[in-house]
Amino acid sequence: MAARGHVQDPNDRRLRPIYDYLDNGNNKMAIQQADKLLKKHKDLHCAKVLKAIGLQRTGKQDEAYALAQEVAALEPTDDNSLQALTILYREMHRPELVTKLYEAAVKKVPNSEEYHSHLFMAYARVGEYKKMQQAGMALYKIVPKNPYYFWSVMSLIMQSISAQDENLSKTMFLPLAERMVEKMVKEDKIEAEAEVELYYMILERLEKYQEALDVVRGKLGEKLTSELQSRENKCMAMYKKLCRWPECNALSRRLLLKNSDDWQFYITYFDSVFQLIDESWTPPLEEEHSLEGEVHYSIEQAVKFIEERITEESKSTRPLRGPYLAKLELIRRLRCRGCNDEYKLGDPEELMFQYFKKFGDKPCCFTDLKVFVDLLPSSQYTKFISQLLEVIPLSSTTESEIALPADIKALQQHLCVVQLSRLLGIYHAMDKKQKLTVVRELMLRYHHGLEFGKTCLKTELQFSDYYCLLAVHLLLDLWLEEGEEMAVWQCLTLLEEGLSHSPSNAQFKLLLIRIYCRLGAFEPVAELYSSLDAKHIQHDTIGYLLTRYAESLGHYAAASQSCNFALRFFHSNQKDTSEYIIQAYKYGAFEKIPEFIAFRNRLNSSLHFAQVRTERMLLDLLLEANISSSLEESIKSMSLSPEEDDIPWKDLRDNRDLTVLFNWDPKDRDISEEHRKLSLEEETLWLRIRSLTLRLVSGLPTLSHSIQPKNSEKTAENGVSSKIDTIRSLLQQLEAAVDSGKKFLEQKIQYPVLGPPPTRMAGFFSNGSCQCQTSLFYLVSDIYELDTNGLEVQERIGNSFKSLIERLTDLFNKCKGDLIEVRDGTLKTQPNLLENLVFFVETISITQWVSSYCDGVLRPFKSNLQKKKKKKKETNVAMPPVFTHFLDYVTELQTLTSNVIDHIKGLEIILTALKLEELSLKDTLLLQVRTSIIRDDTEFWNGELGCDVCDSICCLICLQ
Amino acid sequence: MTSLRAFTCDDLFRLGGAALDAVLLNCGPQYGIPFYLQYLAHWPEYFIVAEAPGGELMGYIMGKAEGSVAREEWHGHVTALSVAPEFRRLGLAAKLMELLEEISEKKGGFFVDLFVRVSNQVAVNMYKQLGYSVYRTVLEYYSASNGEPDEDAYDMRKALSRDTEKKSIIPLPHPVRPEDIE
Repeated sequence: MAARGHVQDPNDRRLRPIYDYLDNGNNKMAIQQADKLLKKHKDLHCAKVLKAIGLQRTGKQDEAYALAQEVAALEPTDDNSLQALTILYREMHRPELVTKLYEAAVKKVPNSEEYHSHLFMAYARVGEYKKMQQAGMALYKIVPKNPYYFWSVMSLIMQSISAQDENLSKTMFLPLAERMVEKMVKEDKIEAEAEVELYYMILERLEKYQEALDVVRGKLGEKLTSELQSRENKCMAMYKKLCRWPECNALSRRLLLKNSDDWQFYITYFDSVFQLIDESWTPPLEEEHSLEGEVHYSIEQAVKFIEERITEESKSTRPLRGPYLAKLELIRRLRCRGCNDEYKLGDPEELMFQYFKKFGDKPCCFTDLKVFVDLLPSSQYTKFISQLLEVIPLSSTTESEIALPADIKALQQHLCVVQLSRLLGIYHAMDKKQKLTVVRELMLRYHHGLEFGKTCLKTELQFSDYYCLLAVHLLLDLWLEEGEEMAVWQCLTLLEEGLSHSPSNAQFKLLLIRIYCRLGAFEPVAELYSSLDAKHIQHDTIGYLLTRYAESLGHYAAASQSCNFALRFFHSNQKDTSEYIIQAYKYGAFEKIPEFIAFRNRLNSSLHFAQVRTERMLLDLLLEANISSSLEESIKSMSLSPEEDDIPWKDLRDNRDLTVLFNWDPKDRDISEEHRKLSLEEETLWLRIRSLTLRLVSGLPTLSHSIQPKNSEKTAENGVSSKIDTIRSLLQQLEAAVDSGKKFLEQKIQYPVLGPPPTRMAGFFSNGSCQCQTSLFYLVSDIYELDTNGLEVQERIGNSFKSLIERLTDLFNKCKGDLIEVRDGTLKTQPNLLENLVFFVETISITQWVSSYCDGVLRPFKSNLQKKKKKKKETNVAMPPVFTHFLDYVTELQTLTSNVIDHIKGLEIILTALKLEELSLKDTLLLQVRTSIIRDDTEFWNGELGCDVCDSICCLICLQ
Repeated sequence: MTSLRAFTCDDLFRLGGAALDAVLLNCGPQYGIPFYLQYLAHWPEYFIVAEAPGGELMGYIMGKAEGSVAREEWHGHVTALSVAPEFRRLGLAAKLMELLEEISEKKGGFFVDLFVRVSNQVAVNMYKQLGYSVYRTVLEYYSASNGEPDEDAYDMRKALSRDTEKKSIIPLPHPVRPEDIE
C-alpha cells in the first residue's frame, strides 16, 4: 500500500495497465495499450520501451531494438524508462547496452546515488572491472558509505585475477587494493566483517601470509564471526602457508579437543607432528610452546593423544567414529615411516574387527574401512572376513539353507562384510561355479531382506538393495571376464526386479542404463534416465551416460533431446551466474565472487558442453539437411563457419562424474586417476575429429559460391582461394587428429566396466567410415582443381569415385548380420552392427553433400567445354572421362542406397518376428527415422542430382 | 568422522552422486543452480557441507537468516538438509542442525525454524528429538506433481537463548495459508 501523503506520478498510473499486461504475458495487449498511450502522450518514453518489451517477447527483435535505441538516444533519466530498458536489454542478452544507458544517466544527474550504483552493477554484469573500480569510487565520493569503497577495492582484485600478466597483478592491482584498505584501517573506518574478509583476501593473494595472520589474530579479526571457526580456519591456512608447524599442531589439537570427530583436523594434527619430528623441533624452555598453546612433537605424544580421544569417546552419548579411524590413520602413517608396532597401537586387523563390532550396523562402515584395507596383509583376507562373519547374529531357519539376519542391524553388518569381501578380491578369485553359488546366496538374502522394508515409502530404498547390486556385479564379471552370455540377461532380470521393489534406487537405474547401452538396446534407456530426474549440474556430470549412446545406437530423436537438455542448462548458466555475482557485491560476499566466476568458467569450458554442441550440430545437419541447398541454409542458421573454432582445447574441463556408479572392486580394478586422464585424452581426440568434420562440412557451401567466378576468370583468387585453403588446412588437421587417435588406440586401453565408456573412435576407424569421410574431403580438394590441373587430376578423381564406392560397399557390408545371434541356446547381441549402420548413414550423408558439390563443379565445366566445342565445331572429340566416371559413380551409389533400404526393411521384419519385449533392441520409431533418412537420400538421388545427371547424359549423347 | 566446511561452487558438481539418492528431509522447491548461488551469495556462512574421510560428500545444510528484529522475528531458517543414504544414522543431520543453530545464536536470532511435509514422519520425529516443536501448519505449502493433492507443511521452531521466555514457539491455534507467511 502506498504511504499516505505520497503523491503518485500520473505517468505511473498511465503506464500501470501496460505493466500488468506484460506481467500476465499478454504482450499483444501491452503493445496496443502502449500505442494508445503514445498517441496522447508522445513524450512518454517509457511507454515506447514497454512496447519494445512486448515486441521483443513476441519475436520482433529488430523492431524492439530500433524502438529501444530511439529512447536510449534521448538519454533518459526517468526511473521508469531506465528500468524498463534494463529489463529489455537483459532479455535481448545485450547487457553491455545497460552500461551505456547509465553512463548517460549519471552524466546528466551526477549526484544520483541510485544511478551510480546501477552503473556499477551494469559493469559488474559484463565484467568491466576497471570501470567498476572507478564507478565504486565515484559512488563513495557522492555518498561516503563503506560498501561503495570496498566495491571499488574488490574490483581491483578482480582486475588482478583477470590480468593476463601475473606480474602486473602482483605489483599493481593488489598492492593498490592493499593500500586502499590500509588507508581505511588507519582512519579506523573498518566497519563490517566483509571488509576484513576482503583485506585477508588481498594479503593472501599477495602471499603476505604473516600480515594476513596478524590481521586475523588482531583486533580486526574479532569481526570475523559469521562463519563457524572463521578465525581458526583462516589462521590454520596461514600457519600452513608459513610452515608454522607448532601452531598448526597446537591449533588442530585444540580443535580436536572441541570436536574429536572432525577428520580434517586429525590430518593436520598428524601432518604437523611428523613435520616437527623431522625437524627435531623442541619447545622453548621458558615461553609457551606456540602462539596456539601446547604442541605435540613426538610419536609418543601423538599415540597418547589418540588413545585419550578414544577413552573420551567411550564416555560420549553418541558414538563417534573419528578417534577410532584416527588410530588406524596413525598406524598407516607409522608404517609408511617403517615403524610397525613399536608403539603398541595394536594390530590393524584386530582394530578393524573392533571397529566393525562397534559400527558394522551403520551403512558407512564399509566406506570407512575401505580407506584402511591396505593395512591388512593379503594372506589374512579370508581369515579377516570369517572373523567378521562370526560376530554377526545370523540365525538358521528350517525354510532356508543359509543363516539369515534377524533384524536390520544384522543385515547391515552382513552387507558390510559382503562389500568388504568384494573389495578384498575374494569373489574375484572364485571359479565360475563358486561365483554362481554366491549369486544365488546373495539373491536369497536380497529377497529375505525385503521383509524389513515392507513399510518403506516409494522414495526410500530397500535395506537389502546392495545384495542385489552385488549379485549383479558378480554376474557382470561372469559375462565380461568368462564370456558367460547368459549372465548378462540375468543381470537385467535382477536389476529390473530390484527396481520394482525399490523404484527410486538410482544405482539400479544407472547400472541398467550402462548394460542396456552395452548391449545396443537404447529403447529402455531414455525412460530410465528420465526417471533419474537428472537436474541442472547433472546434465554436465552424468549426461555422458546418455549422449554417448543415444546417437551411436541410432536414436536420433533421443540424441537430439539429450543434447538440448544439456545445452539449455549450459546456456542459462551464463546469465544466472552474473546475476549472483552482482548479489555477492551487494551482500559483501566478496570471497564468492571469484568463486562464481571460476564456476562459470568451469561450466563454459566443460568437455561435455563442447561435445553436445558439436554433436548437436552434426546431428541437425544429418537430420535436416538432405539436399545441398538446405545444407547451406542449415549451416547459415547455425551460424557455422569453417574458420571458427569455439572449443577451448587447452582448458577443457572434464566435469563427468565417473564414479556415479557404485562399485566395490579392489583398487587394481577400480577407476584410477590414470583412467580418468586417458579417458579425457580419448574424448578430446574424438571431439577434435568430430569438430573438424563439422567444420569441413560447413565449408562445403562456401566453396560452391566460388565456382562461377573461378571458372570464368582465374584471377579472382583472393577471396576465393582462401576458402579452399581453409578446407585443405582443416583436412590436414583432420588427418593429424586421426593419426593421434590411432596412436592413442594402439595402447588398447581397457577402462573398468563401470568406468568411463570408450568413445566411438575405435568403431569409426575400424569400420572404414573414417577413410570414407577423409577421402570425400580429398575429393572436394581435387575437384576444385579440375579445370586448372587437366588430365592428371581427372584421373585421380575417377579413381576416387571408384574407391569411394568400394569403401562405402565395404562399410555397408559391416552393417550386415544378425543383431541378435542365437548360439548354443544363448542370445548375443551385436551392437556394433548398429553403430556401423549409424556411421554409414552419416557417411552417406556427407557423400551426398560432397557429390552435390562435385555436380556443381562438373556442370559448368562441361557446359564450358561444350561451348568451346560448338565454336570449334569439333563434334567428334570425346568429352573428358571424368563425366562418365561421375555418372557411373552416381548410378552405383543409387544401387547401394537401395540395397541399404532393403537391408533395413529386412531388419524390421526380423525384429517384428522376434518381438523381444525385454530386449527391445530397436523400436520401430528408430527404424522409421532411419529409413526415412535413407528414403530421403533416395528421393534425392532419384530427384535433383539424378535428373541433372540424366540431363548431362542427354546432352552428351546429342553432342556425340 | 566427518570434515565440516563451507560449501563451495565446486561441491555443486558432486551433488549429483549423493543427491541422486538423497531424500531431502525438508524441502521447498526443486533447486536449480540459481537457487544455490543465491544462498552462496547472500548467506555463505549458512551453507555447510560434510565430507567423509574417503572424500565422499556425506550431506549438507543450507539456510538463511531473516525476519524483523524489532518484531522479534529475526531468526535462522533451515532451507535444506540432506544426508546421503550411506551416511544416515550417524547423527550427521543433528550435527548440521547444531551448527546452524550456533550460527543463528551468534547472529542474535530469536529462534530457528524449518518447514517439513506433514507426511514426513521420520523427519518430524527427528526434529522433535532435536528440540523443535510444531508452531503452525501451513496449508498446501508443497505443490504436488503428477495429479496428487498439494501437501501441508509444519512450520517447526526451536527457541534460541535470546528468546528467554520462549515466546516465539507458542503454537498458533489455527493453520495459515502460504500467502500469509513471511
